[in-house]
Amino acid sequence: MPYTTGMGPFGSIPVSLFFTCLADAFSPGVCSATVEVLERFGATVRVPLSQTCCGQPAFNSGNRKEARAMARKFLLTFPDDGPIVTPSGSCAAMVKHGYPVLFRDEPRMLARARAVGDRIYELSQYLVDVLGVTDPKSDFSGKVTYHDSCHLRRGLGVVSAPRKLLRAVPGVEFVEMEESDRCCGFGGVFSVKYPQISCKMTERKVERILETGAAYVTSGDLGCLLNIGGLISRIGYPVKVIHLAEILAGKAAGRGDAV
Amino acid sequence: MELKANAFGRNARKALLDKTLQGALERTTGRFQAHRDAAVAAFPEFEATRERASGIKRDVLDHLDTYLARFIEEAEKRGAIVHVARDAAQAREIAARIARNEGITLAVKSKSMASEEISLNEALQGAGVTVVESDLGEYIIQLAGETPSHIIAPAAHKTREQISRLFERHLGEPRTDSIPGLVGMARKHLREKFLSAGMGVSGGNFLVADTGSVVLVTNEGNGRMGTVLPRVHLAVVGIEKVIPRMADLPTFLRLLPRSATGQAISSYVSIVTGTRRAGDPEGPDRMHILLLDCGRSAILEGKYREVLKCVRCGACLNCCPVYQSVGGHPYGWVYSGPIGAVLTPLLVGLPEAAALPDASTLCGACADVCPVKIPLPDFLLELRADAREQGLKTPGEIAAMKGYAGVMKRAGLLEAIERIGGVLGQFFTKGKGIGGLPYPFSGWTERRDFPAPAALPFRKRWKIQRGARD
Repeated sequence: MPYTTGMGPFGSIPVSLFFTCLADAFSPGVCSATVEVLERFGATVRVPLSQTCCGQPAFNSGNRKEARAMARKFLLTFPDDGPIVTPSGSCAAMVKHGYPVLFRDEPRMLARARAVGDRIYELSQYLVDVLGVTDPKSDFSGKVTYHDSCHLRRGLGVVSAPRKLLRAVPGVEFVEMEESDRCCGFGGVFSVKYPQISCKMTERKVERILETGAAYVTSGDLGCLLNIGGLISRIGYPVKVIHLAEILAGKAAGRGDAV
Repeated sequence: MELKANAFGRNARKALLDKTLQGALERTTGRFQAHRDAAVAAFPEFEATRERASGIKRDVLDHLDTYLARFIEEAEKRGAIVHVARDAAQAREIAARIARNEGITLAVKSKSMASEEISLNEALQGAGVTVVESDLGEYIIQLAGETPSHIIAPAAHKTREQISRLFERHLGEPRTDSIPGLVGMARKHLREKFLSAGMGVSGGNFLVADTGSVVLVTNEGNGRMGTVLPRVHLAVVGIEKVIPRMADLPTFLRLLPRSATGQAISSYVSIVTGTRRAGDPEGPDRMHILLLDCGRSAILEGKYREVLKCVRCGACLNCCPVYQSVGGHPYGWVYSGPIGAVLTPLLVGLPEAAALPDASTLCGACADVCPVKIPLPDFLLELRADAREQGLKTPGEIAAMKGYAGVMKRAGLLEAIERIGGVLGQFFTKGKGIGGLPYPFSGWTERRDFPAPAALPFRKRWKIQRGARD
């Protein structure tokens, strides 16, 4: 459904923001940018303040008891209706695909997990696929390349939405990198257990980014960006990492406390 | 094969420092992956074929006993002798007995991963048989005294210079960097073996239940020569390789070469059905089929059943960024890459290989390419959960997880910790990244910075800006 301008057709529908614990602690600017973009397209943003972590690090490392406790809290924290939007493909994929695994032996929680999973969206997915946004109305400018986070691309199947949005920003010169869908090496607990392999993968990712000559590398997942940014900052490469939400929010957000 | 799966971390670090290996890996995996992608792109029916193949395999697993009984019946009808081995020790015993009873002193062997599972060569050598690997890659690593590092390209880790040096030392051949030259040398030496061997040993890509055939998919012709020239043929095949009908074979032949090497069809597809009949110009007088259970029935009974759909194409290795970074050897057993990280713990027991399921970022590239749709990332996750259940996790990890889950129970506690972290982080790093974290996170910051926590977390910021309301 195409939006018009100002108040969108979903203006009266409240959107719940799942800001993610990672962005909350390390890049609050990403959360603010997400709110700004959602409000630009008419959403009334609700922020359930007792939310914490979706439990993915525990789930991915096989610690299901702890993951289940966090998943249970998540499912009880978010309201029973309306879309839940998050600036993370990975966290959305965890709720959508991980929770049904965690609650496969608990029919009532499973039903709730599925219902919540059906209402959760990553930001670009929500803007393009649900709101029908074609012009994000961002004044951001610069040469940008995009890294497909594994969980956004393969977990949620979101490939074109972020690209459509980036290409629609007049000031953005969008350039694809080679192997944009190759894992950056983060993998959460993987990067702690096997840091050398992780780094090897990150180095290859950064090489591909540098080849494009872009001034910014963006993605729909903060985990990837913190990882890629960690290597870039250590070496001092002339490229900035910036979350997709910050580019969509525009110049002011982009200069803020980016990752 | 000696099991070293739990040394994955140490051996992976070694592999990362091996410059020759790194070059070889980049070339081979890159080439395989590019060829596979091109072949799939040029084959619009790929998805539909994949779906069909997955369905056939699922049906096979649901009725494995029936299809196996049919296969054995049909193969025996055509003169083959079928043996079933419960475990590796029994398989070795059967193979050695076959060799002794048939009076074999020299055997030529084509590539077979299943034979690596049971250390077949050692068993045959114990029975007085000289075993010569006849697949070029296997021949190379046999000369080098190494083990395969890739399911379909066992010498993927070797450069042509290393191979030429091996041929110089073991075969007395002059040094060359010409690939056809090297192939010619191997062919010359192998040809004599083919002509004098009493037994040909092969694996089997498929067992066809309604005809009792063993199907071999190869590129070098060694599989065909080894099953046709010697008087005895021994095929060593896992029980899960059975397919119901000859009519199902084309479905798999469309997928396997494309997924493995990017070929529309392999150079050779050999369908070996029984012994030589009266009037046949060639073929073995005796055919033994050794079916391996070796842990497969146990897998069949559990939640990992679908891993038995695997056709051993190696596509998941080529696309895996972890495999691309360290190669096959660190996986420490027969199978490597994502399929190895799942299959090895299931075949040898999780305690012996618990390091492998952790060796993945869960990026999902493997599930995307698998021609029979094995949910490899889901299985890796499941195995990690099994590791916790079976008490295989370190007390440190469990304590850390409990602590983290405890904090995440209460948003207020999390916010307090974030704020303290924010103040300390900003104070010590001036808003820049953290250059060195303590153990167990020290590896993370060896070559990367870790971000400093923000001074004002979002939750607090929101409360200040918009008031403490939901």
